[in-house]
Formats: sequence, C-alpha cells, structure tokens
Amino acid sequence: MIEALFEGLFLVLQWKPLAFMMLGIVLGFWVGLLPGLGGATTLALMLPFIYAMQPVEAFAFLLGMHAVVATTGDITSVLFGVPGEAASAATILDGHAMAKKGEAGRALGAALASSLVGALVGAFALAIAIPMVRPLVLTFGSPELFMLAIVGIAFIASLSAPGVRGMVRGFLSGGLGLLCATVGQDPQAGIARYTFDSLYLWGGLDIVPVLVGVFAIPEIIDLAIRRSSIAGTLPAGRVSKGALEGVKDTFRHFWLTIRCSLIGTFIGIMPGMGGAVAQWMAYGHATQSARNAEERKGFGAGDVRGVLGPGAANNSKEGGSLIPTVAFGVPGSTAMAILLGGFFLLGLVPGPDMLTQHLPVTFSMVWTIVIANVVTVIACFLFLDHLARVTTVRGTVLIPVILVLIFIGSYTSNNHYGDILLTLVFGGIGYLMVVAGWPRAPFVLGLVLGKIAENYLYISVARYDAAWLMRPVVLMLIAIALAVIFWPLVQRRRRAAHA
Amino acid sequence: MRLVLAVIAALAAAPASAQYYAGKTVAIVVGYKTGGGYDATARVLARHLPKHIPGKPTVIVQNMPGANSIIAANHVYTVAKPDGLTIGTFNRNLPIAQLTKVDGVKYDMAKFAWIGSAASECTVFAIRTDLPYKTFEDLRKSKQQIVIGATGPGASTYDFPLLLKEFLGVNIKLVSGYQSSADIMLAVERKEVDGRAGSFTSIRPFIDRNLVRPILRARATEPGVENLPIDEDLAPTPRAKAIMALRSAPEIVGRPYVMHPNTPGEHLKTMRDAFAAAIKDPELVAESKKAKMDLEFLDGDFAIKVMKEVLSQPKDVVEEFSKYIKFGE
Repeated sequence: MIEALFEGLFLVLQWKPLAFMMLGIVLGFWVGLLPGLGGATTLALMLPFIYAMQPVEAFAFLLGMHAVVATTGDITSVLFGVPGEAASAATILDGHAMAKKGEAGRALGAALASSLVGALVGAFALAIAIPMVRPLVLTFGSPELFMLAIVGIAFIASLSAPGVRGMVRGFLSGGLGLLCATVGQDPQAGIARYTFDSLYLWGGLDIVPVLVGVFAIPEIIDLAIRRSSIAGTLPAGRVSKGALEGVKDTFRHFWLTIRCSLIGTFIGIMPGMGGAVAQWMAYGHATQSARNAEERKGFGAGDVRGVLGPGAANNSKEGGSLIPTVAFGVPGSTAMAILLGGFFLLGLVPGPDMLTQHLPVTFSMVWTIVIANVVTVIACFLFLDHLARVTTVRGTVLIPVILVLIFIGSYTSNNHYGDILLTLVFGGIGYLMVVAGWPRAPFVLGLVLGKIAENYLYISVARYDAAWLMRPVVLMLIAIALAVIFWPLVQRRRRAAHA
Repeated sequence: MRLVLAVIAALAAAPASAQYYAGKTVAIVVGYKTGGGYDATARVLARHLPKHIPGKPTVIVQNMPGANSIIAANHVYTVAKPDGLTIGTFNRNLPIAQLTKVDGVKYDMAKFAWIGSAASECTVFAIRTDLPYKTFEDLRKSKQQIVIGATGPGASTYDFPLLLKEFLGVNIKLVSGYQSSADIMLAVERKEVDGRAGSFTSIRPFIDRNLVRPILRARATEPGVENLPIDEDLAPTPRAKAIMALRSAPEIVGRPYVMHPNTPGEHLKTMRDAFAAAIKDPELVAESKKAKMDLEFLDGDFAIKVMKEVLSQPKDVVEEFSKYIKFGE
C-alpha cells in the first residue's frame, strides 16, 4: 500500500512525465480561464497526442490539464461572475460579491488556497480509501443514490434565508429548479416534456447556458446600472492586496475546508452524481457554519466561507471521480469518458486490476492531480494581484469584454442559437430573482439534482418495489436528510435558549 | 484499349479534384457532443482522411449535438452547401425517426449523398456470468424472471430486450432510467440488474473481464460474436421477425457518413474512395485496434439499399413497430 503510494510518486517525478504534466498545466490553465472552451473538448483534442507516450506520461499530461481547469475556472467566477466551467458556479455567490466589496484579491487567494487544500485532502482520503473503495461504490445502489440526491436537495433548507418566508421562497426556488430538470425526453416512456416542439429542448436544459444566464446576466446588468467598476470606487492599491489574507482565511476556517473537501471526494466517488453537485452541496454545508442570523445573511454578500467550501470541493472531487473510472470502467463525466478512451489506447484495462496490480499507476494519477494543483496555485499567486486589479477597470470598458465571455461561454455548449436564448431567458429569471430577493442557489441545486433524483427513484421502485426503503444505508441517508432540514431550526432554538 | 482510356480518364479526373480540395477545409459534423463513439470514430477518420483525398485538405470535426442528431441531420440536408466540404455522421437510428414520423425531421435518409458506413454496430445481449444460464435457450426455458437495465426508449439497451420479452416470451423485467450504458454496467456489477443489451463495442471490456457473458445478438455482426444465435431467427411469427429485423437494420450502417443530396458525383466518388482507403490505412488500423474500435468500410450504395429497405416497410408493419419502438437517444 504505502510502497505503491511512493512508487506512484516516483513514477510522476521522472523528468518526462513531469515535463508532459507542465505542458498539460499550461494548456489547462488557459482553457479554464476562457469560458466556453470546455475541459472535455480540450481532452478530446489532445487525445491523439498520447499514442506515442507511456501510460504514466500520458496521464500526467491529460490529468494535469484536467485538474487545472477546475482551479482556474474559479478565477473567472470570482472576477466577473461568469462561471468558467459548469462546476465552478457556486464560487460566484460569495466570491464575486467579495470582488464587488473590493476584496477580489482575498477571494482569489481563498479560492486558490482552498483548492489546494481540497486537492491534497482528496488525494489523501483516496489513498486511505482505496482498499475499501470497491465495496463502498458497490454498496451505493440506485436507492442509495436517490437518497443521496435527496440529501442534496435537503440542503435547500440551509441555502434559504431564515424564517418562514425565507424557507418558503427557498423551497419554491428549488421546486422551480426541479421543474426545469424535467424538460426533455423522459427516460421511461420516451415522452417529450415541456419541449414546445423544439428539437433543441429534446435533450433537456443544458446546465452551462442556464448557469451563465442565472449568475452572469444579473451581474452585468448590475454593473451597467452602477456605472462604476466592479469594485466600486475603491483605489486599485487596496483591491490587489489581500491574496495572503485569503490564504489565512483558509487556515482560519481549516475544519470547514477539510469537511468540504471530504464532501467533494465522496460525491466524486459516487458515479453519476456529476461535478456540479459536489460544489453546491459543499456550499450548502458552508452556510451551515453561520453561527447566527447576522452571519447567515452575510452568505451571498461576500462571506469568505462561501468561497472556501466550493473551492475545496471543486478540486477534491477530481481525485474521487477517478475511482469509478479507474476501478469500474464507469466514467463519471464527459472528461472522464474521454480519459477512459485514453486507457484503451495505452493498453490498460480499467477494472479491479487497477487497484491491485497497477496500483502505482493509479496512485501516479492521484499524485498528478496534487502536483498540478500545487504548481498552478503557486503560479497563480505570482500574478494574482494583477488579476485582481481588473475589478477596478471602468464598467463601460469591461462590459463588452464580459458580454463576449458570456455568450461564447454559453454558445459553445451546443453550438446552437438555442444556447443564447436559454442564457437570455434564464438571465431574465435570475435578474428578477435577485431584485425580488429570491435565493438562486436552491434553484441550481434543484436543477442539477432533479434528473438524478427522478431516474434513481424510478429505478428503485421498478427494481425493488417498496423494499428499497428498508435498506440500511437508505435509512441512514433519510436520517441525514432530516438532520440537514431541521439543523437551521435546532440552531435557532439553541441560540434563543442562550440569549 | 480500355485500360488506356481508364488511365486517361484517371489522369484527367485526378488533377481536377486535386485542385478542388487543395487548400480547402472539410468539416465532419457529428450529431453528438465529444466523448462518445460517434465522435471518437469521426476524430480518428479526420486524422487519416487528408492523406487519401487528392489535394490533402484539412479535415476538422464539428460537434452539433441535440435531439439525438436530428438537428445535425437537418443541418446537412437543408443548410450545408452541396460542395463536398461538409460531411455528416449521425445517430444510426435516424431512419427510424423518419419512418415513425417524428416531429422536426426535415431530412430524407434515402436521398443523402451516401459515402457509406465506417463500421457496423452489433447489438448483443449479455447476462452476468454467475447466473445459471449458459445459453439463451437455458434462459428462455427456465421461465425465471431476469432483471435487465436500460437507458431509455429508442436505445438498443431498451428496445432489444423489449422485443425479446414481447415476442420470444423471455421473462424480463425491464428497468430503465440509467444515465449511460456504463452506469448499467455498474448496476450489473452490484447485482442490481442481471444483464443488459447494447453495442458489442461497449460491452466487450466487461466480457473480457468475465463479468458478463453474451448469449444473443442482432443481425449485424462483428468478429467475435458471429456464432451467437440471432434474435430474429428465433421469432415465432413472420410479423415478429419483420419487427425485429426493422429494429436492427440501421445497425448494419452503424456509423453513417453522408453529404448533402445534391453533392456532385465526382466529389462523392472522391470521398468514397478516400474513406475506403483511409479505413484500410495500416496506421489507422493500428490506432483503431488500440482504441478497441473495429472500423470496416461499407459502400454508400449498400447503405442506400438498407435505408430504402427500412423506409419502404408496409404501413401495417410500421404501425405495429411504432407500438413498441420509439425514436430516442
């Protein structure tokens, strides 16, 4: 075990894999920054180059690139409020709010430092979990995956404003998200739902154009109305300081960062949950750390913990999502599906052997993710201060640039004008939600979990009738879901008792 | 004399098309996002085609996902120019969408300028190796219920077992809603379901790993599964056989490649020759062998024959067929 761990490290540290990894990092860095050019597309484009490589070199190259995309995607989220990747949208809520308060540097510092901690914790957790990872994944059947989605949906309770009014709004917003998730051809009878005879809507609402609309459009309207820079009228000098403060924040809330990293790893290991889910569940958990109503209100308005949670989960999930791909040949995402193609090209067969015979190769992948993150974060810190200064550029200059990012970002998801329309429609909905004070996070949670919940509920009932409700892990997850829902109430009761 | 004429004709034709394609860009429009089999096949071809097209044009891949490729097919049929520079590759089941009159279909599969197919995709039916059934006959005779996982209607994972249940009397409980064929495989591994149907390419790694055993296949075949029994040979009535045959016919043209209907004959011939040569190219063969994708060129004329066969079914067969099969995925 330990031997394999170090053998994996030494495999990566040879000069050739290391050189290929650096190349991958440079590529991934730009792909992550530019919204639209997705990580998956880039992987597909790079796949032919691995023919001549050894397995360890090839994975250092591909994974190095893939690991960095999620990290640098957070930068666009914080600075402009435009999600660089579907998986980095949760960072916008507090990260961009911080940028507007003139704390862009601190937000970036926190996002990057927590990414790094996330990657390290994720890798460490994986190393410990590898002997039991097969039974763990096999224990989670469809009923368990359904309940996991329900636990995720239960986080709406903590993502809503306190009080009855806030809760009702939160759950209605989540309901809208669930409703939007039903658009498209249903997988049981093949009936087209809410497609309005449009071919584009057959496949359902694509998550990227919707997220770009819901988050980026309201920000750009806001920026246009304020007629100032993103950070208001603050002098450039103040904005760019604070990256170090963000790093300190990571250690100030160290346990939160660790917990969110573990959430990310766990969701990553679960096949079929998807990258966006991990980040939002981590964000939901981060909001639970608010000690009083005052602090709770701060979330969404620029609380650094709202950056740390998603930042950590974002990178720890990458290590986790390697597991279903490597150990079962079941890719958890498009990027992983392409990586799986790489396995075959290199003559490796994904399956149990990868956790025994080829364990060093598997560990070399985990190490790649770790090293790639360390390198990226250090590189980022070198020019973080300059990046943060973008938030002091006049809005009139910045708006055209951001608009281009927004529309390219959404259009490239399907290369269809429907993407643009979707962004505009959901931009309008997002703006109304912001103006009326309705929370957007529950909506996204409903949207990303709706399809998962629906499919696994159907499978559970079709396969096990009602018996699935009595499975031990299902019961455990029901208890957790209830705890998540009632946690805000208990907390308030306790505070009332104290006061 | 004829040889001389042929040589002269070849000499006359070659420079013309060499001039035509030189310096141009050919786009292969794929009806799916990156990451799937259609995309992977197109990308392998795009890398090796330029060598075999006179004038060595650049060949790129464009992804145009949506509505299970109907959007891309409509695009190539109605929007793309008939200039031999746009090639489309779509869901092999598009003729089924046309046959069952799905809303939004603007193409006619029999009218495309067919380059051909890059592979045939064999559907196999595989069950867990720890089940007591060694052959399909064992399973059918046992009358025991077997749980089969599927993605959804319109996919071979769903339609193939559905017809087995309806016509061959296999006691199948069909559970659909899995997000991908790989997810079904995981469900097989945790014994949530007993097996699945699907393309041989996607199931093969799990057969190699001895997790599942193939026991039945559809008409289209590939090396490695020739000896399995075929579903339609077991059909009890001619009607049942016709429906099973109709379901599997598009699989013979597993990776269809077409151009706009009005594409000039010389460009079509250039492309057919280029595809035939590229798929035999030793470099491509070595590469696709590594990637575990078996490519085999099937001429456009034969593909058109298959399309016409599918589209000319009598009305009553189509009606009966539509009761069971819906276009999707």
